[in-house]
Amino acid sequence: MPKCNKSEAQAIDYVYGELDVSQVVDFERHLSTCNNCTRKVNTYKRVLRLVDEAEAELTAHIIAPRNLEAKLYRRLAEVPPVKPTLSSRLSDFATGLLLTLREQKVVSFCLFIFAVISVAFFVGNPFRPAPTFDMSQIDSADARIEQYRHQDIQRSMEDVLRNRHLRNSDGWDTVSQLNRVKDQAQGTNWANIAKKHLKNVHSEL
Amino acid sequence: MDKLIDDEMLVTQFKSGSQKAFDELMKRYERKIFGYLLRSVRNYEDAEELTLEVFFKAYRALGSWEPKAKFSTWLYTIASNLSIDYHRSKARKPVYMLEDEDVIEARVVATDISSNPEKQLEEKERGRIIREAVDELSSKQKAVFMLARYEGLQIKEVAETLGMAEGTVKIHLHRAMKKLQTLLRPLLENNEI
Ligand SMILES: [Zn+2]
Repeated sequence: MPKCNKSEAQAIDYVYGELDVSQVVDFERHLSTCNNCTRKVNTYKRVLRLVDEAEAELTAHIIAPRNLEAKLYRRLAEVPPVKPTLSSRLSDFATGLLLTLREQKVVSFCLFIFAVISVAFFVGNPFRPAPTFDMSQIDSADARIEQYRHQDIQRSMEDVLRNRHLRNSDGWDTVSQLNRVKDQAQGTNWANIAKKHLKNVHSEL
Repeated sequence: MDKLIDDEMLVTQFKSGSQKAFDELMKRYERKIFGYLLRSVRNYEDAEELTLEVFFKAYRALGSWEPKAKFSTWLYTIASNLSIDYHRSKARKPVYMLEDEDVIEARVVATDISSNPEKQLEEKERGRIIREAVDELSSKQKAVFMLARYEGLQIKEVAETLGMAEGTVKIHLHRAMKKLQTLLRPLLENNEI
C-alpha cells in the first residue's frame, strides 16, 4: 500500500464537495488504496448526516415569521426617515433648477422651447394625455408608514376612551392620556379629535 | 410579482420608490433568514425579532447599497452580524472560546451522551445533544458551517458574507468539522448510526 500523502483537510473538502473535478478523480483513486482516508471520509460523512438530521428536526416545520411586513413598517414609523433617496435628490435638483431659471426669464424661455422640441423629437409628443398610473404601484414608504401611524393613533385613542368608560378612570387620568395621544397625532385629524375630547373632559371636571 | 425578476432588479425598483419591490424581496428571503437565525440562536422568539431587525436594517441601508455582491449575500451579512452580537450580549452559557479546548468540550458532551449508556437515546434527545455540539463551535466556525451547509452558499460567498478571506473560511470549516467529529465521537462509535 502506498504511503498516504493526503491531509485531513482534503478528506473534509472531498466530503464537502469543495474539490474540483481533477482533484476528485485523484482523491478517489487514492481512496481505493488508502483505508485511512476511506475511514476519515466515512466518519465525516456520518458527522454531516447526524448534524443534518438534528438540524432538520429543528427547522422541519418552520414557517415565516408572523406579520413581518406590518411589524417592519410599524418599526420604521418609530424612527426618523433615512437619508434622501435618489428620486428625492433628483426632485430636489429639479426644484433648484426651476428656481434658478425663474430668475433668468429669457434664458429659461429659450431652454423651455429647446426642451419641448428635443422631447418631441426624441421621445414623442409631450402634450398627449398623461398615461393613467397603476395606483397599486404608488404606495410609497411614507404613505405606508403614515397608514400604520394612523392605525396606532386610532388604537391609542380607542384605549383612552375604553379606559374612560369601562374602567371609569378619573378625569385627570384621561386628560393626561388624551394629551399624549394629541402629541402622538400631531399633523393628523386625530389631533383635533383629541382636542375635542380634552375640551369635553375639562368641562366635566 | 414576477419570480423571473432578479433580486438586484428589485433593489433598483425599490431605490426608485417601489415599495412593492421591497415586499417581494422580503417575501423571498424571510423564511430563509428566519431559518438561518433560528439555527443560530435556537429560540423562536429571538429568531423572529432578529429577522425583523435584519429587514429593518436592510430597508434603511438599501437606498445607499451598491451591488458589489448578491443581495442575498448582503442579507446574510446583516443576519450574521446580528447573531454574533446576539451571542456576545447573551453569553447565556459558559463558552469555551479557546479553539484548542476541544477536548474539554468533548468531555462535556460525551458525559451527556454516555449518561444513558445502555438504553437507546430517544431521537429527540439525540437531536438536542447534536445541536448542542454544533453550538459548541466558535461563533465564526458555526457561521461558516451553517452558511455553507444549510444556506447553500459557496465558499466564496461565505467569505464575502463574513468579510473573510476564502482561505480563512476553509480553515474555519475544517476546524468545525474536526471539532464536530470529536464532540460526536460517542455517537459515531455507536454502530447503529
Ligand atoms: Zn490516505
